[in-house]
Amino acid sequence: MKTKDMLKDETIVGSPKKHLVVLTIVLFAFWILLSGKMDIKFLTYGLLTAIISAWICVPLLLMPNADGTKKYFIFDVPLGKYAMYWLWLLNEVRKANIDVVKAVVRSEMEINPQLSKFRIKFDNPMAYTTLANSITLTPGTVTLNVTEDGLFEVHALNDGFAAGLLEGGMQEKIAELFGEPFIYEVIEEGEEQ
Amino acid sequence: MMFGLAWNEIIAVILLVGSLFFFLASAIGMIRLPDFYSRLHASGNSETMGLMLACLGLVFYEGPTLTAIKIVIIFLLVFLANPIGTHVLGKAALKSGHPITPVDKEEE
Repeated sequence: MKTKDMLKDETIVGSPKKHLVVLTIVLFAFWILLSGKMDIKFLTYGLLTAIISAWICVPLLLMPNADGTKKYFIFDVPLGKYAMYWLWLLNEVRKANIDVVKAVVRSEMEINPQLSKFRIKFDNPMAYTTLANSITLTPGTVTLNVTEDGLFEVHALNDGFAAGLLEGGMQEKIAELFGEPFIYEVIEEGEEQ
Repeated sequence: MMFGLAWNEIIAVILLVGSLFFFLASAIGMIRLPDFYSRLHASGNSETMGLMLACLGLVFYEGPTLTAIKIVIIFLLVFLANPIGTHVLGKAALKSGHPITPVDKEEE
C-alpha cells in the first residue's frame, strides 16, 4: 500500500496524518539521541531523513485485526500508561527472576514443567503482542503458541508460575491499557476446543 | 572514596557483581534442567535481570552522558527483541512435536 492511499484509508483507527507526524517525531528524536550533535546542519539532515523514512515506512507499521475490518497503527498506544505498564512489568520480572533462581539452584529442584492454556479476546493485535512478549519476558513462563482466535499456550516451569499466570493480573492490566473489554477464560487440561 | 574508588564506581561494581550472580544462576539452570523447554526459562534469567543490572551498572559508571542513554537504548532493544527469539525457538519445538513433559529421571 502506498502512503498516498493510506492517508485516505477509512479503516485505520485514528487519523493517518497524525500517525505520520508521530512517526516522524519518534524517528527525529532517535536521530538526535544517537548523533548528539545540535548543529543546524545535522538537525536539517536528521529532519529530512526522518520525514522521508516516515513517509516510506508508515504503511508497513499498520496491523489488521483478526477479522480484517480495522487497521491499527502500532505506535498508537497511550505512551504514559504504556511506560507505567513496563515499569510494573520490570518489577514482576525481578520477582520472577528470584523465584526461578530459587527453584533451580536448590539441591532438590522444584520444577514441574507443564503447558497451561487460556483464551483471551482482544481486537488490537498490539495487545496480543504485548501480552505474549510480557509472558515470555517473565522468567518461568514462555509463550509457545498464540492462535488467531486468542488461544495462548504457555509453558510454565512449576505450579507456582502457572498459577500466577492464570490468575490473570497481567491480562487484565493489558486489557485496561488498550481499552479493550476483558474476556478471559482458563482452559483446563483435557477440555480442548 | 573507598578503596581508591569513586562512589559511582562502587555502585557500578555492586550492580555488576549482582548481574554476575544472575548469569551464574542462568548457567547453572542451563546445565541442571532436564529438557529443552525448561532450559528456555533458565536463559530468561540472564537476558532480563542479568542484563538489566549490567546495563544499570554501566550507566552509573558512565555518569550522565549521551553514552549512558545509548546503553539504556541497547537494554530496551534487547528487552523487546529477546522474547521474540525465545518464542520462535519454543514454537519451533512445539510444532515439531517435542514432548512437553520431561523424561523420567529414573529411566535415565
